[in-house]
Amino acid sequence: MEGFAEQKVPGGKMVSVRLVYGPKIKNVQILGDFFLHPEDALPRIEKALVGTSPRAKKDEISGKIAKVLAMNNAELIGVTPDAIAETIRMAVKK
Amino acid sequence: MKWRVIPLEIHDAYTNMGTDEAILEAVRDGKAEPTIRFYRWKPSAVSIGTFQSMEKEVNTARCRELGVNYIRRITGGGAVYHDLDGEVTYSVIAPESLFPHGIRESYAFICDWIIAGLKTLGIEATFTPINDILVQGRKISGNAQTRKQGVLLQHGTVLYSTDVKRMFSLLNVSAEKISDKMIKSVEERVTSVSKYSSASIEETYEALLKGFTKGKEYKQGNLSGEEESRASELARTVYATDAWNFSR
Repeated sequence: MEGFAEQKVPGGKMVSVRLVYGPKIKNVQILGDFFLHPEDALPRIEKALVGTSPRAKKDEISGKIAKVLAMNNAELIGVTPDAIAETIRMAVKK
Repeated sequence: MKWRVIPLEIHDAYTNMGTDEAILEAVRDGKAEPTIRFYRWKPSAVSIGTFQSMEKEVNTARCRELGVNYIRRITGGGAVYHDLDGEVTYSVIAPESLFPHGIRESYAFICDWIIAGLKTLGIEATFTPINDILVQGRKISGNAQTRKQGVLLQHGTVLYSTDVKRMFSLLNVSAEKISDKMIKSVEERVTSVSKYSSASIEETYEALLKGFTKGKEYKQGNLSGEEESRASELARTVYATDAWNFSR
């Protein structure tokens, strides 16, 4: 299945998610006008999320994002791991 | 520290973005001094942030119809309409060590140069995190930064005049949203130099030049031959390609 969701982070930027999924995430694209330094951490975050259940708890998804950020010494600006996790969950059809 | 200042130039979108990256590489390799560059876009162009989707953000069919370029930047941030007669763009490309370590602090640091430039036109502006400059609560400048291999690149625009209707026709905003009410609401959130000053676009550039160079040792310069050929190569092999522009 495919899903899409977007939201404006309160006090921050827009984030949207394109999701291809079954019981697990097959492909995810995180889009938006946020900043991430270094930028090449984003494909690493997307890769790390493949195989995760899109219905996993928000903390589990955001924990994976935070782990990649820490491993890459990366900084997200205008969006948070929690907001990305929430958008992924929103992209899953009810 | 001596800076190189490249005076206002006009190029197409691909050359403009290729030039910023070619300078970044030259600064990284110690072949160029810290550089401040000013430019405009001909033809006018829409640029999108590095994490945005071209097909989602930009009405590319309408751009082609009007001869407007569309391009993905290497920096984050949002979609920007760069009207040839509507704005002045700058870039600052220099070793990271010359700026505050924090990203947010370094935005404020460079945006102060823009604020100083606007002040010489009698315009009182303020920095609003993350990356905007406002006049009386309305946005007059947007800025975006990346750091690569020890070099900081920040580019941004200062609006000289705005045509919100035209901007909306180039961006993928639903027809329902392009109502008079929506246009009015954007017009209330965005402003430009021409609303506060009778300065021409060239005089606006001169004012920015003063703000950016205040207190700095600098010389006016051009790209080296190597930078120029690298900029053309990047323009041709990266920035003008669908592979890059539609990569998301």
